[in-house]
Amino acid sequence: MMAAGMTAQDDGLTLSGSIQSDMLIPQEDKSTGAVKKEDFLTNTYADLQLQSKYVDAGMRLEYLDHPLPGYENDFKGWGVPNFWVKGKLGKGELTLGTFYEQFGSGFVLRTYEERSLGIDNSLLGGRLLLKPTDGVVLKLLSGKQRHYWSWSGGLVSGADVEVSLDEWIPSMQQHDTRLSLGASWVNKQEKDELVPAIGHLGYRYNLPEFVNAWDVRANLSKGPWSALVEYAQKTQDPSLDNNFSYADGHVALLSGSYSERGLSVLLQAKRSENMSFRSRRNVNGISSYVNHLPAFTLDHTYALAALYPYATQLADGEWAYQAEVGYNFKRKTAIGGRYGMNVKLNYSYVRAIQDAWFKWGSQTYYQDLNVQLSRKFTKDFKLSLMYMNQRYNQPVVEKHGEMIHSNIFVADGMMQLAPKAKLRCELQYLQTKEDQGDWAFGLVELSLAPHWMFTLSDLWNCGDASAETLASGEENTHLHYYQALVTYNIGSHRLQAGYGRTRAGYNCSGGVCRYVPATKGFTLSYNYNF
Amino acid sequence: MKSVVYINEVLTVSLGRIARFGLLSVLALLSACSHIDDDERLIKMDVNVPTGDPTEVTRNVLLEDFTGQRCVNCPKGAKVIDQLQESDFGERVIAVGIYSGPFGKNASGALLPLSTQTGCDYYDHWQIESQPGAIINRSGHVYYSPQDWTREVMAALGGKSAVKMDLEAVLHDGNIEIAVHSQGYGDFAGKLQVWVVEDGIVALQLLPDAPEEDPAWKGGSDPGYVHNHVFRAAVNGSWGEDFAISTGEQKSNRMQIPAAEAWNTDHLSVVAFVCNGKGVEQVVKGKVKTEK
Repeated sequence: MMAAGMTAQDDGLTLSGSIQSDMLIPQEDKSTGAVKKEDFLTNTYADLQLQSKYVDAGMRLEYLDHPLPGYENDFKGWGVPNFWVKGKLGKGELTLGTFYEQFGSGFVLRTYEERSLGIDNSLLGGRLLLKPTDGVVLKLLSGKQRHYWSWSGGLVSGADVEVSLDEWIPSMQQHDTRLSLGASWVNKQEKDELVPAIGHLGYRYNLPEFVNAWDVRANLSKGPWSALVEYAQKTQDPSLDNNFSYADGHVALLSGSYSERGLSVLLQAKRSENMSFRSRRNVNGISSYVNHLPAFTLDHTYALAALYPYATQLADGEWAYQAEVGYNFKRKTAIGGRYGMNVKLNYSYVRAIQDAWFKWGSQTYYQDLNVQLSRKFTKDFKLSLMYMNQRYNQPVVEKHGEMIHSNIFVADGMMQLAPKAKLRCELQYLQTKEDQGDWAFGLVELSLAPHWMFTLSDLWNCGDASAETLASGEENTHLHYYQALVTYNIGSHRLQAGYGRTRAGYNCSGGVCRYVPATKGFTLSYNYNF
Repeated sequence: MKSVVYINEVLTVSLGRIARFGLLSVLALLSACSHIDDDERLIKMDVNVPTGDPTEVTRNVLLEDFTGQRCVNCPKGAKVIDQLQESDFGERVIAVGIYSGPFGKNASGALLPLSTQTGCDYYDHWQIESQPGAIINRSGHVYYSPQDWTREVMAALGGKSAVKMDLEAVLHDGNIEIAVHSQGYGDFAGKLQVWVVEDGIVALQLLPDAPEEDPAWKGGSDPGYVHNHVFRAAVNGSWGEDFAISTGEQKSNRMQIPAAEAWNTDHLSVVAFVCNGKGVEQVVKGKVKTEK
């Protein structure tokens, strides 16, 4: 990884940017299936932005000609796929070039960049933002979506309005009440193509040229309470994702939260059906999505908690629920002890749908119940504990395997050894009778402020595979995935060098997942911001 | 009562402002859509068929299906191949199932019974991204949608070839003896590739879980699944041997391969094709006969 930056400011002109470079010198490893196809692999990005009072401009250079393993074939290449200029005057703002945008929760439009997944679905075209009066934001846009190194999909156009009623009505402000209403519309115009009909040899599908999607939402908050209700619908959009179904797509979300004085509560429910919306109807993989449905499951950071991550089922649809309660026990209380204690309970549940709106389908897709405790015992020692009970429907998410039930235990301790020296240790254990059986993970991390950090870790498949897994041709692996890392920070530079093995598996962010094959070798990463 | 007045105030002010900024006009755009009724969803396609002209040779179609025993979606691809092969032009569609890739291996990278290292080499060479994926006549493009397979096969059926081929394959003393006969209807230079394939193999296949609407579907893993046109081995090297032919020329290429113990010799066939950088010029398939 490599990053670099510098800032220049003169007469209101600001130059900023960043460099990020991740590198791998791969080695073959027959026991894990890691392969060496090239001697050197790198994903390198350089961003540059220029800002002034009336005009902003930016560009991004990407060098992905020898990419890290696991990205789609079209990911390979290099060039300047992002370039934009933005004019700002009064209550308006016009962007020409490439841009990112999100309407509401993203049900009908969300373009974003997620480098870990290889996603950049920016639009190339124009975007107009207007604030005609206080409390009103209007957006209009049209453009072609980036598909790696081309802009070859349908034309995506849209409009969004967000009205903050509390800015119009003083009495709402007096009552500490905020209410915003939003509405969006997105249209995809995609030319016809020849797609033969499955099960009807000699016939092709009659494909719609236009697909429309719309979204309405209301967000109300009063004091510590807030609620969001949102509904979106999509017209006929037969695609590879939905097996060329002509059904409409729907998604509805209800979310409520409370947050005050150390207590936070979140309750959410979502039903989605046939909401995969891409600018190209006949692609698979993770590219060309126009929309994004927010995940209702936690993106875990602990290695074993993230071993079986859930991917949102956009086309098949799902009922998803999430509840979370967090509480900070105060310092110097019986439970909180001398330094206080934080407890968080999170539950998420995802289930198949049926045609009838409020009926569940027969399958559970995912379930995650986890409780996390974090407590500082002494001035120099802090301990975090987590227990997680998980059900993971591997056939639905990964298209193979079995339902996996697991219990995961995590202990994460941090000790202040000296004013500039910290030691962090993680111990994790995943118990399951399914798939490849139990896993253990250990990590030791020594930080020597302000420059150095040393990390050693090992992920071990210590259990035996289940009978069903063995019957499907698997074997007990009992493999160790070890890793050693050295990190050096100076100023806004960060350099990390390492050596190790990584297992094949899914890397997920926000419910979107990418399969990453096993790797082994030397890694180097560099980041710099300016 | 206070709250009713309050809500009324909110609605009055809000709707007034919304109307003022003409935002409702955006809603009018929602009516511009392309709705397709049930009876308009399918359009008849033209299918290219041989003209019957004796001076021309039509090109058969080679469909290389990259599949795997752990690939739950791959049986869908196999169904599309069945459908193509059961059609009027089915004899001209020669499918080969190349068991390979992540779904052809277990978690520690070991090959499953129907996978071969040669198949995995092909998988890597063509940079297959997901399974099922198919290459039609080695056009250089991988198609991941079975709908695309049908489209590309139908488009390819109209092609003319510079080479007419047929083959003989006989099992003799545990060896499959193969003779590939070619006749030039034009000039061609490239490679001749010969493979052994097997039909009717009963072996494990992972399948999708049962969808709600189809309770008869057997989900999970099926140890009794029947695999057809399974790639078993390359007879003359993974990438074939040099081959050239001119107009009017006739030639025969002979080769042999030992029949492996795992193969059911009653269900074996040989696939032979000639190809170059432009794709497959001709492909034929013949059943392996047992010498009496």
